Amino acid sequence: MTRLNSNQILALLLALVALGYLAMAWQIPAFPLPRPIDSDLFPKVLGFTLLGLSLLLFLERPQAQDAPPAPDPEEQARPLLLRPWSRVVVTALAIAAYALLLVPVGFVLASTLLGVGLTAYYGYRRHGVNLAAILGVVLALYLTMTRVMDVYLPTGVLPF
Amino acid sequence: MEALNNLMYGFGIALEPMNIAYVFFGVFAGTIIGMLPGLGPISALALMIPITFAMEPSSGLILMAGVYYGAIFGGSTSSILLNAPGVAGTVATSFDGYPMAKQGMAGKALAIAAYASFIGGTISIVFLMLVAPLLSKVAVSFGPAEYFALMVLGLTAVVSLSDKSLVKGLIAAVVGVMISIMGIDLQTGTERFTFGSAHLLDGIDFLVVALGIFALAEVFVMLLRGGGGKEQPRNAIGSLRLTRGEVKEIAGPIGRSSVLGFFTGVLPGAGATIGSFLGYSMEKRLAKDGDTFGKGNIKGVAAPESANNAACTGSFVPLLTLGVPGSGTTAVLLGALLVMGVTPGPMMLEQRPDVFWGVIASMYIGNIFLLVLNLPLIPLIARILDLPRPLLLSLILIFCMIGVYGMSFSVFDLLLLLGFGLLGLGMRLFGFPAAPLILALILGNIMEESMRRALQISGGDWMIFVEKPISLVLLVIALLSLALPLARKALQRALA
Repeated sequence: MTRLNSNQILALLLALVALGYLAMAWQIPAFPLPRPIDSDLFPKVLGFTLLGLSLLLFLERPQAQDAPPAPDPEEQARPLLLRPWSRVVVTALAIAAYALLLVPVGFVLASTLLGVGLTAYYGYRRHGVNLAAILGVVLALYLTMTRVMDVYLPTGVLPF
Repeated sequence: MEALNNLMYGFGIALEPMNIAYVFFGVFAGTIIGMLPGLGPISALALMIPITFAMEPSSGLILMAGVYYGAIFGGSTSSILLNAPGVAGTVATSFDGYPMAKQGMAGKALAIAAYASFIGGTISIVFLMLVAPLLSKVAVSFGPAEYFALMVLGLTAVVSLSDKSLVKGLIAAVVGVMISIMGIDLQTGTERFTFGSAHLLDGIDFLVVALGIFALAEVFVMLLRGGGGKEQPRNAIGSLRLTRGEVKEIAGPIGRSSVLGFFTGVLPGAGATIGSFLGYSMEKRLAKDGDTFGKGNIKGVAAPESANNAACTGSFVPLLTLGVPGSGTTAVLLGALLVMGVTPGPMMLEQRPDVFWGVIASMYIGNIFLLVLNLPLIPLIARILDLPRPLLLSLILIFCMIGVYGMSFSVFDLLLLLGFGLLGLGMRLFGFPAAPLILALILGNIMEESMRRALQISGGDWMIFVEKPISLVLLVIALLSLALPLARKALQRALA
């Protein structure tokens, strides 16, 4: 059996999404009063269009630009946590943690921790400059948003 | 005469001290963000939305417009100094700008870019002033069928002009429309695709998608490409002075490319990138020394720079007069206007002349700022390119977070932002263009509404879309815009 190329794998995934979408579109309740076009028609058109496009994608040969670039051997030789994909995963986890800790910890502290921590993790070694730059930007943003634009940002554990 | 009176009215608004400050800030911030490789005008505008949403609409749009053309100009600096265009619209500038920089003439190239951008921008504002009211008058007669067809054309044009796969562009557009119709259907009150979550009843905020797909995805891409502290060598600036002969040499290309750029910008789907390439290739063909293009010819910098700024102004024509953006960037601008409570379209000229004429007048001021700010400050501003990459990535992340949280105060939206960032990364890695998705996200709702209103008028008869001549013509062009690239590809394959 021949192996599926990247477009074909994506096409199958998109077809599944389209089928799920269509199933949900069929569950949209009808409006009690008769109308020429109800809430479900447009989603159904979209679902079938995506299904058709998935089929076309399945038949399309992938171009060079359609596949992720091969990993740089120099980058791959680094410790696991410092490899490119690890950096993406760690950043994504840091963002998720930031989202969950923002309210209890507060905007200033959470943003400073995120900024300083990630900058150091990405390899910047001048920690004093890192802290000063991130804290300066975070405080400037915080004061502009809360004092000038009257936007509430969580204070968290800090008193201001 | 009427145009002059209106312009004077616009200047009355644009010259208010706060608005002057907003233009200055917009142009300055746009220049800096546009200069940073990877961050284009869409990211720059998306990052600005949280700042503008509480502003007067005229002031907000004045600031955003400044960011837009500032970003286009800023992109040229990194194109010339680093051969790393900050913006797709300045790729053509690097063809001759970077060789000039390598020959020690970076200052000259930057000065030509500044003059060309200024003149291109200014000429195109005159055209905008003349063309926009005329188009508005035509568009007043548009009904829902014509609007639906126009939006279909806008989407297909963006998809067909993208350098990526047509099928993938269409998939991105369909997914964008799918996201846009999530939440409560305003016509019937029915919930659609909310997965039972109260957070999704109002749909997904466009800012969350725009920041995720563009800015956050860009951070992820930079991390994958090394992301760390690899600094690129920067060429020295040198003198900014031009000789009289050089000024004479670039005058023609700037004039021609400005006009070409403006009309390219007006077309849906085209824009600064296509405008700049067209300007570059036109001048290469016309020039007697065309063979020196790509080796540091000053006309090769002047032409794309005037064309891209002119196209940027031209793209405001469909946005302001029809309420239909012709590109991802103007889609973000439309989104920002909708957030501020202004719906652009043919009636805007009568209902919100302050926004319409205020932003046009502010463009004159913004272009002057671009010139006076950038010429003497270029060596200083270019130092922003020395900002350590790890610090830059963290700062972009913080801007994204505060942008989303400051608008919605929702932790759920922050997690959605992460999801869209990862989706944007996947799209980049597998060759899906992002602009059709963002355009469809903005147009999706309006498109569905226009379609339903048209069908209500016709009593459910779909022929309404082909019986109306304007709608028919627009739909035929939309179909052709998809069919022609496919036919060309098939022909190439048959000939090969």
